[in-house]
Amino acid sequence: MWEYITFGLIVQLFVNGILFGTMYGIAAIGLSLVFGTMRIIFLAQGTMIIFMAYICYWIFTLMGIDPYLSLVIIVPLSLLLGIGLYHILFREAAGLEDKNISLLIAVGLMFLMENLITVIWTANPRFIETSYTSFAFRPMGINISVTRLNGLIMALLSTAGVLLFLKKTMIGMAVRAASEDMISATLVGISPHRVNAVAFAIGIGLAGVAGVGLATIYPFDPYYGFIFALKAIISLAIGGIGSVVGALLGGILLGLIESLASFFFSGGWSDAISFAVFLIVLMFKPEGLFVRSINKA
Amino acid sequence: MENHLLEVKGIDVLYGDVQAVWDVSIHVEEEKIVALVGANGAGKTTLLKTISGITPAKKGEILFQGNSIAKLKPQEVVDIGISHVPEGRRLFSSLTVLENLKLGAYPSRARPLMANSLERAFSLFPLLKNRKDQKAGSLSGGEQQMLAIGRALMAHPVLLMLDEPSLGLSPIFVRTIFELISTLNAQKITILLVEQNINQALKIAHQAYVLKTGKIAMNGSGDELLADPEVQRAYIGKRWSKS
Amino acid sequence: MEDKRSILISVLVVIAFACVPFVLDVDKSYFVFFLFLSFCYVTITQAWNLVGGYTGQISLGQHAFFGLGAYTTAIIWLRDITKTGYFFDPVTMILSGLVPVVLAIIVGIPLLHRLKGDYFAIGTLGVGEIIKVLFVKGGSFTGASDGLHLPSTVFESMKPYYWTGLFLAIFSTVVVYFLIRSRIGLALRAIREDETSAASHGVHVLKYKVFAFAVGAFLTGLAGSLYAYYLFHINPDAVLKLNWTLYPVLMCVIGGTGRIMGPVIGAFFMNGVFFLTDIYFVEINPIMAGLLIIIVMRFMPGGLIGLKDMIMSRK
Repeated sequence: MWEYITFGLIVQLFVNGILFGTMYGIAAIGLSLVFGTMRIIFLAQGTMIIFMAYICYWIFTLMGIDPYLSLVIIVPLSLLLGIGLYHILFREAAGLEDKNISLLIAVGLMFLMENLITVIWTANPRFIETSYTSFAFRPMGINISVTRLNGLIMALLSTAGVLLFLKKTMIGMAVRAASEDMISATLVGISPHRVNAVAFAIGIGLAGVAGVGLATIYPFDPYYGFIFALKAIISLAIGGIGSVVGALLGGILLGLIESLASFFFSGGWSDAISFAVFLIVLMFKPEGLFVRSINKA
Repeated sequence: MENHLLEVKGIDVLYGDVQAVWDVSIHVEEEKIVALVGANGAGKTTLLKTISGITPAKKGEILFQGNSIAKLKPQEVVDIGISHVPEGRRLFSSLTVLENLKLGAYPSRARPLMANSLERAFSLFPLLKNRKDQKAGSLSGGEQQMLAIGRALMAHPVLLMLDEPSLGLSPIFVRTIFELISTLNAQKITILLVEQNINQALKIAHQAYVLKTGKIAMNGSGDELLADPEVQRAYIGKRWSKS
Repeated sequence: MEDKRSILISVLVVIAFACVPFVLDVDKSYFVFFLFLSFCYVTITQAWNLVGGYTGQISLGQHAFFGLGAYTTAIIWLRDITKTGYFFDPVTMILSGLVPVVLAIIVGIPLLHRLKGDYFAIGTLGVGEIIKVLFVKGGSFTGASDGLHLPSTVFESMKPYYWTGLFLAIFSTVVVYFLIRSRIGLALRAIREDETSAASHGVHVLKYKVFAFAVGAFLTGLAGSLYAYYLFHINPDAVLKLNWTLYPVLMCVIGGTGRIMGPVIGAFFMNGVFFLTDIYFVEINPIMAGLLIIIVMRFMPGGLIGLKDMIMSRK
């Protein structure tokens, strides 16, 4: 196999990995925000992404609306869904000392959504096929699929949006403050439910973006969500919990690792390698690879 | 009775099964400095936490401007004009100095006044102005304490509760802090002060309470308690024999 | 549980369970199969209760121990390694518990030493997934993704399964019960409450955590072994699926974490829900499990056993 490896091929693997890794990245940003304020790993994140991918699929097949145009519907919808889910499911549990309860509600939600999707859309893989799905740019012989490129652009734009929101708005600052010290945040007048709901809404909002990205790139089925959530968790650990840019970079790095691993080893090993990287990072650099200063108490 | 800004009546506070505060009653008069003193673990910090809603009382009543606030959540207590600077300052250390201050004006009541409040904070603490884009965690202990007080002032409190503001600070900063407390009081802010620096605290306090294992052991004006032989012997004599 | 009455009731219930095969037709009754599966769940849930409930270390890698136990039984049987027989052979079963213990110690020492809380949880999840891949890629030794086929012709009756299952459920409950009441249990609970303070009181935190993790792995491995005897076809999808981690966590929490009867109540309750929805609401069956977890956690965060406390404290 080694004689087939050319420079162009390596570049291609890198490009593929980076482009798809951005999807992990935005999923990880969502996880990071929810973890920041609520201190739980929101295991249902992947399933929410898949759910949004199905919504996108639905809008596309039933109404013929272009998947990227459907973002106009999907993003507000998912933001509202996030607020609703927080207030209906997590509001009470968020105040409890025992974080496992919130974690388990998330697990229950994952089960519920996974099976709800199966009941509504069946377990058959779906894929959105538009006129431009197979279109690709070919600079210097490297294949850059237009849908993957769009995924990258969406990821970068939404990351920038989240960063601006967190830096420039009062409620965004409040989310950051609450992520650091919830008690102290309440002492300046911040309501925990408010910041939790906002973090949750943005998390699910990002799931909407990732859902559209995924639906246009990859075939998906209801059970892919959990694997996707695991990948997002790995990205988050690699990037460092609490850092938005770190989460995105973590996702990109994971995409790269997977792309290379599935080429050089057979497909089945790539998940094991991702987990091994994850364990190594957890063991030796638990604050993540992309976090510079540590000011955790 | 009428000019009692804050009245705490017979509260019991429990942490799990351990009772930290037993039937404590205090009152804070408007525009005065009231000190809570006593040994470590006497329940002073707990009392402040109960007033600010972090650790609700099991029994008893808390009145602020005549209204019951015992059931309010911490963020609601800030809204009505009580700001609490907690022990250990608890700044948002990964946020900048400016961001910390801005968040101080989070209550809707304080938000429209933010520009003015910032100006006031920077004139009170010129040091912070030069460091406004620095992360709060990179400040020195004294600067952090100033930022913590500055952040609390951004909410325009009627009552400012300070928990151990001089703890761990250099003597120069300790003096600055006590001067600051008097200055703030002169600006008609009522102060409820918890201090381990009992001598200094009693000197500036109009009224003081001595807590002992969760109960009020003594109360009186700052000067009275300062002159009290019991207080001298138990709290001041040993540690502050020089003064 | 302390008083004699509870012990008496427990003994009576156990005797009643033990007599079921004399009353019902074991090989035809759906109910007996329900009980058998519930016993398996009680065993793995009690194991998780020790690690997650009493020691406070949320392990999400239990499926690795379950699968390892199942595979150990299958491999010993197929190659007749122990020469002690194979079908329900105690030596095989104990070895199937001990192999997971070895894994628990090897991965437990670094993981429990370096990782806390959620990090430990996802760390163990990672270990579980890696073990799964190793078995899928294990070639002829593990039979790869097709797995191993055991000679199912030896199957005669469900009875020995039923009793072995009952024995394992009781065994795990008794082991956890006595462990918790011993000095070890005191240390474990101290670690759950406050690790730093436990350490400052002279508790060797890592040693106890690894011990609990290993005992949990042993009990889970035993259940895996029994399940292998029941399945006859051991493959990664069947014995290394994540359900073997998720179910015990759910059952434990739904029953009541850190309570000796929690796993028993949770396992029977959840398994009952799975069975009933399977019979009566086939279409929405999968939805029910998720919905139920949400409802119980949303309204009864202490689990079903906490319901009793809630009613008591309302009075």
